[in-house]
Amino acid sequence: MVAPEVTLTQLNRADGSAAYTHNGYSIIGAVNGPIEVQRRDEQPEEATLEVNVRPSAGVGTPRERHLETLLHNTLRSIILTRLIPRTLVQITLQVRSLPEEDTSTGVNTSLTLLPHLLHTAFLSLLSASIPLCTTLTSVLVAYPSSTTKSSTPLLSPTANELLRAKPIRSTHVFAFSGDRRLLLNESDGKFSYEEWETACEMAEEVCCKEEDQGGVSLGDSMVVDGAVQSQNLEKWLREVVRRKVEYEQRWKSAT
Amino acid sequence: MATAASAPPPALTFPRPIFAAVSPHPFLQAHLSASKTAVRANGRAAHEFRAPGVNTGSLTHCNGSAVVRLGNTSVVCGVRAEILKEEDTPGTSSPAAVNANGDVEGDEDAGAEDEVETLRLLVPNVELSTGSTPAHIPGNAPSTFAQSLITRIRSLLHSTRLLRARDLRITYTPTTNPEDPEAAPETESKGYWVLYLDVFFISIDGNAFDATWLSILAALKNTRLPHAYFDEECEGILCSDDPSEARTLQLRGLPVSSSFAVFEGRGEGDGETGGEWVLSDPDAFEEGVCRETVTVTVDRGVIRRVEKSGGGVVGRETMKALVKRATERWAVVEGAVSGRP
Repeated sequence: MVAPEVTLTQLNRADGSAAYTHNGYSIIGAVNGPIEVQRRDEQPEEATLEVNVRPSAGVGTPRERHLETLLHNTLRSIILTRLIPRTLVQITLQVRSLPEEDTSTGVNTSLTLLPHLLHTAFLSLLSASIPLCTTLTSVLVAYPSSTTKSSTPLLSPTANELLRAKPIRSTHVFAFSGDRRLLLNESDGKFSYEEWETACEMAEEVCCKEEDQGGVSLGDSMVVDGAVQSQNLEKWLREVVRRKVEYEQRWKSAT
Repeated sequence: MATAASAPPPALTFPRPIFAAVSPHPFLQAHLSASKTAVRANGRAAHEFRAPGVNTGSLTHCNGSAVVRLGNTSVVCGVRAEILKEEDTPGTSSPAAVNANGDVEGDEDAGAEDEVETLRLLVPNVELSTGSTPAHIPGNAPSTFAQSLITRIRSLLHSTRLLRARDLRITYTPTTNPEDPEAAPETESKGYWVLYLDVFFISIDGNAFDATWLSILAALKNTRLPHAYFDEECEGILCSDDPSEARTLQLRGLPVSSSFAVFEGRGEGDGETGGEWVLSDPDAFEEGVCRETVTVTVDRGVIRRVEKSGGGVVGRETMKALVKRATERWAVVEGAVSGRP
């Protein structure tokens, strides 16, 4: 799995932003907050959250509203909204480009996009220094139909891989918090509880840091073509933030 | 929190409805933690669903209809069928060859794409009527809630492949083959039935998704399409007037959705957490105080869809129990939809 490419704080007029590219999905996210909230949306004990998803072409449809609802529910559970009451945190996610094969994979396109939206939103929140209680990592798992090839689940498949593995029997999106709790799950298709559990375990392994550092580590970073590749999303997240902090502190550390 | 905890004696007391309105969260927590069996404010146990009430065929001017009640949630669904002519379709998705029954090779194959999705032959719509819920403001564009509901319904209709393209196809076999009079004539597809699934909420008392899906299932099971055929002389599609020629839809299985809400209790002091309860089939009051929701759709023990968001309480173990609850619910709903008591 190739780690996503991220530039933190790319937009200088927003409070926080992130430009995210992974497997042909390119999204730019911006966060403004805490800012003043409209009177009718104001909540006395916590911050109001507003999520806007803009598709790569055209205006938002009910599908984007549904994605916004999912993001809203998930992010609300990790933002410490009670620390910044009576304010607004506004998150805008603009999908810049999708892989060419995205619509022809036969898989629900909301599901393939969702992990990328979650990552972008989370990184933008980090960049805006909004108080958060945990981290968030997300991954897509797909089971190809057992009648064709082997039915080993595909982990974070690209659109091209999905197209080649067609027909896909079931797709699952999982999002985990830093303390290994399952924050979000969207599963679609035809599957048993055992398959769901296997997919969930696979996703947890990729999303979360191993608890003990001994033994064979899956999360070992390796240098391929000069780029640091990480198979563990928690590590990748820390790496992204570490690079950003190092860059910002370059004058301080040089002297 | 405006509870009476810090009031000097004699302690300030509220009647039940005022306690519920002033501080809904402690109200429900007090109910759930009062006894070991965890009785909710509405008198149900944590794992108890509301009994579904299904009434079909109540609308005269629809091809199929159903009125569904889940407690105080009541919803009407009407299925209206219209004809989409073959020449009005992009023509890219039409099957190359259709046999005499209107079947396409591999129609039953789980992976084959069909026209139901590509031509959008199913058009679900959800309307919240004035007064159905206090949160709904009449006269506005469809709320985010309604749009999200429609998206979930549409994607469930397509991912479960509930309708067979065969049922919606209108085919025609010419008496002679125009190219070669000796060979058998080829059956061609002349049009499709488009089904408009209009769901209308009379009142919402929680769990709108399950009620919507149940009403759609019941209405589709009730739907009768008139016999449509291509007439050579008129060069158009005509419908038969004879009700005995009308046919029902053959649905693929019966996926049933079950929704759950997770109630997280608050502890007395900081850092202390209260209990957690997973409530089946939440009502509007419970939805107001619960953040995390789970919807599991099962069909005869096979899971068709899992949707979970809003928190991190439900893990693998809890999910197993929820799948079990949803499987048990399937039998109840299956009985209600097929008219058994």
